[in-house]
Order: sequence, then structure tokens, then C-alpha cells
Amino acid sequence: MTPDGRRRYPVYVPQPSRTWWLKSGPYRRFAAREITSMFAAIVSGLLLAFLFALSSGPGSYQDFLRLLETPGMAAFSAVILAALLYHTATWFRLTTHIVVIRLGQRAVPRSALLAALLGAWIAVSAAVAYFHIWF
Amino acid sequence: MRRGNPPDPPSLGDVLDWSEASEVRPGQRRPRPRGPQARLEAMAWGLFSAGGFVAAVLLPIHVAILGIAFAAGWLPDKALSYSRILHLARNPLTKVYLLAVISLPLYHWAHRFRFAIHHQFGIHLRRLVAVACYGAAVAGTGLAVWVLLRI
Repeated sequence: MTPDGRRRYPVYVPQPSRTWWLKSGPYRRFAAREITSMFAAIVSGLLLAFLFALSSGPGSYQDFLRLLETPGMAAFSAVILAALLYHTATWFRLTTHIVVIRLGQRAVPRSALLAALLGAWIAVSAAVAYFHIWF
Repeated sequence: MRRGNPPDPPSLGDVLDWSEASEVRPGQRRPRPRGPQARLEAMAWGLFSAGGFVAAVLLPIHVAILGIAFAAGWLPDKALSYSRILHLARNPLTKVYLLAVISLPLYHWAHRFRFAIHHQFGIHLRRLVAVACYGAAVAGTGLAVWVLLRI
């Protein structure tokens, strides 16, 4: 900077193309990870619609269940589930990079942390399934 | 692919100016960003990570049950019956759980989509995009509260 606050040299502003995120494998995986958040928001919307149908009485609740049974909706759910599982995988993986748990002088190895996360995930899913289906 | 001229290398004087400006002397803390802007930013990141956690741990089983197992006929007959689900959803603990499960992933989406618009779509109306994304998440939260109170 010069004393009057102006720069002495031109600033380089890189101008990537609009499709830079399709250009290589890591970029595509990054973009896919970002897009999974959209499916999470769609699930929020679906749960909201489910509860809205539930609060509107038995007739609209049955209508919503019939919608869930259509093959198109089941196929869409499969796509959503695949996206969510990708999100789960990337989220757990990055958690093992961020969270460091110390035991005495050593850090818990990343593989142990990942195993603990997966175990907790399965346990929580089983609890949700129990309340949702059998409770 | 290069557009425009390559940058001139910064002069030695510039480099020294920068390092002096960012220097942290012993016993002195690096100044933290303060003010309402920084507080909102911190809150957005907190909600983002909470939402990412909920989306990773809790959402897959819900989609597996409602979206796939039910359509495939794997659930017991009465599992999704109106009276049983209504009874379950009227429990206050379930309502708190459902509010978290519905609203937190919306903040996760808002935060990621905000930067996706910036990075992937190349639209740089940063303030407008941020207000629209977080506003949608807040509206979804309000809607969830309204629906849960209606049940």
C-alpha cells in the first residue's frame, strides 16, 4: 500500500468458469456434498407435510400415506436416502478430522472415532425406528 | 485458462507492511471479530453444524421408514395408523424432537446453499442471498412450530 491507501500493483482477481466444479473428481465430490444439503431440506419439507396432513385429520393423513406408496415417491425417497447416506459418510469423515479426543498422552485414533460414530448412528437409528414403528 | 495479465509480484515494502499488520506479539491476543455481524456469523455456523449432525444421524432412518419401508410393505400393519402416530406426535417430547429434526437441517441447507450460490452458480449478491436463505430457514422453523401446535 502507498501512504494514500492505494495499491502499488493491480490486484489479480481470478475468474473461474461457471462450471469449474464439474471439471475434476474432487470438485465434483465437493459439489455433490454441497448438494446433499438440498435433499436434507427436502426431507424437512416432507416431514412438515406429513405432520400437516396428520394435524388435518384422518382423511388427509390417509391421502398422504397413499402418496407415499406411489412408485414415483418411493423412487424419489431412494434418491433422497442415497444423498443423505453420502452426507452421513462425508460428515462422519470430516468429524474424525476435526475432533481430537486425548486419552492421557495420545489422541484416540481416527478409525476408533469413526467406529464410535457409526455405532452411535446405528443405535440412534434403532431407537428412532423403535419409537416410530413399535412403541 | 488465464484472463487478464498475471499479477505483479508484491514489493518487499508491501510484504513487510502486511506482516507488521498481522503480527501478534507475545502476551497479546489476536483480536476477535466482534459486533452483531460476527455474532450472527457464529450463530449461522453453529446452526449449520447442528443441522449437519441431525441430517447425518437422524434423517436417514426417517426416510428409510416413511419413504421406503412403508411403500415396500415391510412395516407391521398398524405401524403408521392415524391414531397411533397422532398419539405419538402429541407427546411434548416428540414435538421438541420433531422441531429439531425439521428446523435444524433447514439451517444446514441455508448455510451451504448460500455459499453454493456464490461458488457454484457465480451469483454474488451476497447480502440478498444470505437474507433469502436464512429467511427461508426461519420461515420453515415458524411453519414447524405452527404445525406442531396444531396437532
